[in-house]
Amino acid sequence: MKAWGWLGLVIAFIPLLIWAELGWNGYLLQLFMFLGLYIALTVSLNLVNGLTDIFSLGHAAFMALGAYTSALLTLPLSRRATAFPALPEWFQTLVLPFPLALLLGALVAALVAYIIGLPLLRLKGHYLSVGTLALLVIVETLATNMDFLTRGPRGISGIPVYSNAYWVWGITLLIIYLTVRLKNSSFGLAFSAIRLDDIAAASLGIRTVRYRLFAFVLSAAMAGVIGGLWAHLVRVISPHVFSYGITFQVVAMLVVGGLGSVSGSVLGASLLFLIPEALRYVERQGSFGLSQILVAVLLILIVIFRPQGLLGRNQARRRAKEVV
Amino acid sequence: MKKILVVLALIGLSMAFAQIKVGALWNITGGMSSIDEPGYNGMQLAADQINAAGGVLGQEIQLVVIDGKTDQTANANAASRLVDVDKVAVVGGINDSTFALASGPIFQDAGIPFVIAGATLPDLPDQIGDYAFMVPFGDNIQAYAGAEFAYNDLGAKTVYVLYDTAFDYSVALRAFFKERWADLAGADSILLEDTYKNGDKDFSAQIARLKALDPQPDVLYIAAVPDDVGNLVQQIRGAGLMQPIVGGDGWDTPILTEVGGEAAENTYFTTHVSLSNTGDMVQNFVSSYTETYGNAPENAFAALGYDTMGLIADAITRAGSADSAAIRDALAATQGYSGVTGTISYEGDSRVPNKSVTVIKVENGDFVFAKEVTP
Amino acid sequence: MSASYFIQQLINGLAIGSLYALVAVGLSMVYGILRLINFAHGDLMMIAGMLGATLFLWLSKSPLFLFVALALVAGLLGLALERIAYRPLRGAPEVNLLITSFAVSSILQVGMQMIFSSSPRRFETVAALSKLYSFGSVQIRGADMATFFITILSALLLTWFTRRTRTGIAMRAVSENLDTSMLMGINPSRPIALAFFIGSLLAGVAGVLWGWKYGQVDPLFGFLPGLKAFVAAVIGGIGSIPGAFVGGYVLGLAEVFFVGFLPPSFSGYRDVFVFSLLFIVLLVKPQGILGQSKGRRA
Repeated sequence: MKAWGWLGLVIAFIPLLIWAELGWNGYLLQLFMFLGLYIALTVSLNLVNGLTDIFSLGHAAFMALGAYTSALLTLPLSRRATAFPALPEWFQTLVLPFPLALLLGALVAALVAYIIGLPLLRLKGHYLSVGTLALLVIVETLATNMDFLTRGPRGISGIPVYSNAYWVWGITLLIIYLTVRLKNSSFGLAFSAIRLDDIAAASLGIRTVRYRLFAFVLSAAMAGVIGGLWAHLVRVISPHVFSYGITFQVVAMLVVGGLGSVSGSVLGASLLFLIPEALRYVERQGSFGLSQILVAVLLILIVIFRPQGLLGRNQARRRAKEVV
Repeated sequence: MKKILVVLALIGLSMAFAQIKVGALWNITGGMSSIDEPGYNGMQLAADQINAAGGVLGQEIQLVVIDGKTDQTANANAASRLVDVDKVAVVGGINDSTFALASGPIFQDAGIPFVIAGATLPDLPDQIGDYAFMVPFGDNIQAYAGAEFAYNDLGAKTVYVLYDTAFDYSVALRAFFKERWADLAGADSILLEDTYKNGDKDFSAQIARLKALDPQPDVLYIAAVPDDVGNLVQQIRGAGLMQPIVGGDGWDTPILTEVGGEAAENTYFTTHVSLSNTGDMVQNFVSSYTETYGNAPENAFAALGYDTMGLIADAITRAGSADSAAIRDALAATQGYSGVTGTISYEGDSRVPNKSVTVIKVENGDFVFAKEVTP
Repeated sequence: MSASYFIQQLINGLAIGSLYALVAVGLSMVYGILRLINFAHGDLMMIAGMLGATLFLWLSKSPLFLFVALALVAGLLGLALERIAYRPLRGAPEVNLLITSFAVSSILQVGMQMIFSSSPRRFETVAALSKLYSFGSVQIRGADMATFFITILSALLLTWFTRRTRTGIAMRAVSENLDTSMLMGINPSRPIALAFFIGSLLAGVAGVLWGWKYGQVDPLFGFLPGLKAFVAAVIGGIGSIPGAFVGGYVLGLAEVFFVGFLPPSFSGYRDVFVFSLLFIVLLVKPQGILGQSKGRRA
């Protein structure tokens, strides 16, 4: 899409956002915002899992880092002395504005991704996936146990509500834009070269580890911002929120949409977020759990009958044939 | 037979025009479900009984049930849906404070009273706002009662504390217990404190360490959720440790004796009600629950869910209307509402009830009333 | 710290390690052939445990029959899942298999919750298994001894099977290199189905042993041990059957020792330790303790 196209898209979106904020009921507005967050999560995960040869299962860990950072830095001072007595003086007196807190959340997530990524990204394939899963478990367990900083399983509540449709969708569109631009840039070409054959790519002078690290860190920063938005939407965070559940959900959205396809990520996230919500009517007839089972069956069917995902290219299929 | 059904259906239909919508928000699936499902069953049972007796204000109660799926996002969405789509007048449910804190503010903003069935964090209503009410006592009350019972009645001089780090419930319970125990017997008499995490099913390493203590503690205080208690006693007794065990209302579940068997003997816990109480209210609840669901109430949360609905219906009756603000005021003015889990009164501005604590002893596989404590 | 305390913790570690090992074998075999991280594998253990506490309750007085019946049920279920959910995906991207295993796991968990409710259930045991046997100052429960011996027996049987029988050798060949083995005239469908069957059978065995050891099962108990067993398989060397057993014991002992020999305030950090261990193994020796380096195929 050309720059004009993007501008047009954003301008077309503004009335929708204003309408949503002013005219929709709370339920619709909330669904709309969570939808934006899930789309952003899926697209940002696509940056790593779809465009490079990394398949991360640790995305929620970076969300957690962003959410906790942003929540702690914006929490009203009145709550801090009682909730976090062990934290130093500067923390007891400093409240950051929301945008700055979001940014710092992204930075923390990016920093951790960088430090972990340096050794981790030397791994390949499933070993790397398992390594990212380990990161997820470690972050969750630390959040559960570092009581002085996170209040452990009690979580942090009373987080001020700053997220609204403008913030959520503004950042979602930004993440989509960045990912599409990156995919179509020379970076994107380098990524696909690494994905198709990393040794050949390296022999062509592409610094594979550096490129993978770049994608990993950028994606983590995006997850950090999304985590911050999430915290300021739900108002309470606790360690088990950012765990297997949300990780698998987003991975499923990504694969259903199609690895590597940004529009696919948008579609996959929308479908898997909205279908369970729509099934609530059916569930209410007394069979709770039905929506999870139906979504799981749908997932298996999509993966069997359209292995490249709804909007994915056949490239994925070709790659697999080479491996097996 | 068919004719009767048609007539009944018609009556049902005509009553459908005069219904009061009550939201029921529970985590019916996912990790919380073993705790929330009995709560939901209890609430549904109470609603059915109230309707069978003619409803409230001449109208039928329509329970709008929604599943929070043990997921923060799903809880928030469910809460919004109850508010904006189903337009309920009042909501009851939820047994865990982190989920109450995800949905509570949405009800608060919409001006819809939220009656929290089983979460026992004492400052929970204050964290949410003046539309949030708790049915159970706060954890501080039951932990104090547990400490006093262990010290005064069991004559314990030293204690071992084990708690689950995964729930705010168990973390808070352990903190309040230690606070009161240190006042009673001195902090030095807590011989060892250890932790585990819900999901770990193997406590052998912790138990071996407890076993290596010399001298052994007089009593073990264990803050755990219902899923783990049977497993815990079995492993502790299996290792040959026979001291009295004291716990909180998480221990109030038949799983304790079903899974624990003989290992559950000499166990005490603080809870909301003794289901062996011969009072009509309790016996009626136990027998109709057993009749409806085919098993005895799974844990104390079933009774709390039942009382949640009863309290809501009582408030609607006293408010004289299904208006949310009027229901809130009626809830806040509750004095001496007599439920299965005790008498509920909200004193002053407090929205945590002033309830006494029941101590239960496990004896020959039965839950036996041991003492009533008002700390 | 006394010697008997150390031995007691050692026994605890071996007991839990045995369960990890039994679950890890199936994960490792299936991964070796299909490169599938089967997140639903732990749930097969759960199914065996849940059925033992519900539909098969009538068999609980005769532990041997219960044991065989549940192991077979789990094995057949594994076989069925392979046929229905995984075989149609052969040739598709590996990640599709991963997603399918999430979905299968979700169906098994929620399905069991819907059928039998989420409440934990008692798993009947027999007196000999719940008894505490004393050896000097060390005490061992019957169930722990049974678990240990059954695991060692399974390891020996499986090693014999994969090294000495034609079918077993075919299975290893497919795991070693799918393409080459097909060129050698092996139809991969049979060894793959067999790997699922044996792996699931052992998960079923683990489910029964779990029930006897802890006396309690619920619809969600399988997931975390399944994940930990995968960690064990990676530590031991994924794709390697002896490696899965070694990895299971290393993980079990590491977990117990971490809790048992550090101050109690560290107990909560157990999973940080376990997964950091995984991290280090991945970085230092990604092929695991007994795994063979497969170069780029990893």
